[in-house]
Amino acid sequence: MKKFNRRKILKGMAIGTGGVAASSMFGTSAFAADDRIRHFWWGNPSRDERTYKVIDLFKAANSGVEVSGETIGWGDYWTKMATQTAGKNMADLVQMDYRFLFEYVRRGALLPLDDYFNNTLFLDDFDKSAVSGGIVDGKLYALNIGSNSQVCIYNTAMVEAAGAEFDPINWTHKDQMAVAQKISESTPDGVHGVDDATLDNVMWEVWSRQSGKPFYGPEGTVDGTVADLEKFWEHWAEMRASGAAPDPEHSVGKLGSKMAESGVVTQETAMSYMWSNQIVGVQSLSKDIIGAAMHPHMDGGDPGQFIKPSMFMALTRDSKNPELAVQYMNAWVNDPAATAILGLERGIPASSKVRDALAPNFSDAEKVSVDYFNAIQTKVGTLSPPPPKGAGETQDAYVRVATNVILGKTSIKDGAAAFIDEANSIIDRAS
Amino acid sequence: MRKFLAKNAPGYVFLAPWLIGFLFLALGPILVSLYLSFTKYDMIGDPRWVGLSQYEYMFTKDKRFWKSLEVTFTYVILAVPARLAFALMIAMILDKGIRAIGIYRALYYLPSILGASIAIAILWRQIFNIDGVVNAFLSMFGIQGPNWIANPDTSLYTLVVLAMWQFGSPMLIFLAGLRGISPELYEAAEIDAASKPRQFFAITLPLLAPVIFFNIILQTIEAFKTFSSAFIISNGDGSPADSLLFFTIYLFNEAFKFFRMGYASALAWTLLVIIGAFTALSFFASKYWVHYENEKD
Repeated sequence: MKKFNRRKILKGMAIGTGGVAASSMFGTSAFAADDRIRHFWWGNPSRDERTYKVIDLFKAANSGVEVSGETIGWGDYWTKMATQTAGKNMADLVQMDYRFLFEYVRRGALLPLDDYFNNTLFLDDFDKSAVSGGIVDGKLYALNIGSNSQVCIYNTAMVEAAGAEFDPINWTHKDQMAVAQKISESTPDGVHGVDDATLDNVMWEVWSRQSGKPFYGPEGTVDGTVADLEKFWEHWAEMRASGAAPDPEHSVGKLGSKMAESGVVTQETAMSYMWSNQIVGVQSLSKDIIGAAMHPHMDGGDPGQFIKPSMFMALTRDSKNPELAVQYMNAWVNDPAATAILGLERGIPASSKVRDALAPNFSDAEKVSVDYFNAIQTKVGTLSPPPPKGAGETQDAYVRVATNVILGKTSIKDGAAAFIDEANSIIDRAS
Repeated sequence: MRKFLAKNAPGYVFLAPWLIGFLFLALGPILVSLYLSFTKYDMIGDPRWVGLSQYEYMFTKDKRFWKSLEVTFTYVILAVPARLAFALMIAMILDKGIRAIGIYRALYYLPSILGASIAIAILWRQIFNIDGVVNAFLSMFGIQGPNWIANPDTSLYTLVVLAMWQFGSPMLIFLAGLRGISPELYEAAEIDAASKPRQFFAITLPLLAPVIFFNIILQTIEAFKTFSSAFIISNGDGSPADSLLFFTIYLFNEAFKFFRMGYASALAWTLLVIIGAFTALSFFASKYWVHYENEKD
């Protein structure tokens, strides 16, 4: 019976309440007392606190509406999400990642937002590029709730103490080696200039873009070459040999560590590679002032970075009250009180109006984050299509092979060939 | 029927909590997983029937499957004897009749209760870290130890040591077994001037054989199923470099990280067959070394 009627009822409800709901964003609610929606996101303590505050705000403005928040770490998020999807028990609103968006849309797990556009959901102040990231097969399925890019976060005090200088938006791998060496020399034993990127697949993918052969081609094939991977690993072997990066065992020991254990936070290194929405989080864990630099470039080449939606919010097919859910979504990205609470924690907001409103109250770290974002605008490439199915597994394979390479159990040559080979068979099997 | 009930009813009543749980909670999922093992199922879409092809892939193409078997078997072969030997040793010490034996028994049993917990696994990471307790101890002798857990050559052994430390439950069973050996036998041996080791090999071991056998079966099955400690220590994916890729870890990753429910189900059934075969083999071999006292030779 449930199955028989739900859709029709929802349609009716959507039409019936649409007009009333659109009349006011936070006005008196037109919903019955049992109206409830669930919002599910992957988080961290700061993100959870902000999100629950927004939920309370929404509930206060809409009496009789119940919003329940569910949060879990990134690692378990997709497991829980898949389980709920299989059980036809998805939350009304889920946080989405660019990598998984297409998969969920094409399996019919998400609902398009086009019908709500300009009556419940208002995106007038959104950057066009930020909105387009959520479009799949011509329809808008996911709302951008923040953008980010790759970043090299560094400790300004350690750089200064070493007497090193560099242009954070325009520097080469050679520059970085010199800076990192200086830092290693000017600090006590065991402290190094920069985290070793050998085990970091994001860094490898940036390197392969810099080399003109993005790891994944436009059709989702493995285009990265063995030769480029060899060069990447050789560069980092040189970084270790020069003292710029820590010894291999240290880096392997750091695998899977949390932000609080990253080199730049523990000050075991002066630079760590992250995503730009993490700048604020790292600063809150550090005594010294931190700075944001691009990944070092190749001589005169493409920096290989891109700006991507760090997170989306999406409406699921299991929503019993999509109208209310979209209303909540709209408040999330447009209501000044809500966006003030959320700040830049999930990335740079897509709405210029929200950014302008936030600007006067930026903390120093938020300023670093926004300045960095503005500075790289002209230097980044276009957003590539999402990585193919199996990309997550390829990432694991990368770390596995790289571990053997960094520990010297496999030669760079053999490791590079083995990984590209394995990546190909993983992508083949997944598609 | 009535006769059957009258005779067996109390047994079934005692069995009921497990039986009800099995019939109403476990049996359904078990049968579904058998069905799923013949399908491709990513949880988002619907299962797709593929026959035996997953099993074929597993045995002919999947290198990580073989790697996970290698890791698991190495662990079983090292950890089970190590834990049992340790348990027997402690049981024999406790059997000597120390004062306040109850307290010691409880204390020695404690690690087994804690062992499966997440906290111990995290503690274990710290102990074997590059600047952990083990290396601090070694450095007193001027030895610079490696990062035991981050090194693929040593990481598995840290788990074997963890398994040894959790000797509590086999120890209790050994202790009960030792209590069952008649002291008269030892007295007779003393009179015949048999040395302690000789007494151990001629009296203790043979008479304890059924208990040892029971412990071997139980501990082997448990060792095959090792999961939570390995999951925490290996960051959940068998790292470093698959050196901690236990069968269960591989299965979990296939199911809940890569969403290959069908393939993971096939792995689970393969594990069941392996454990079953191992147990059957142990029973078969036991004929040659386990003798029960009430047995007629």
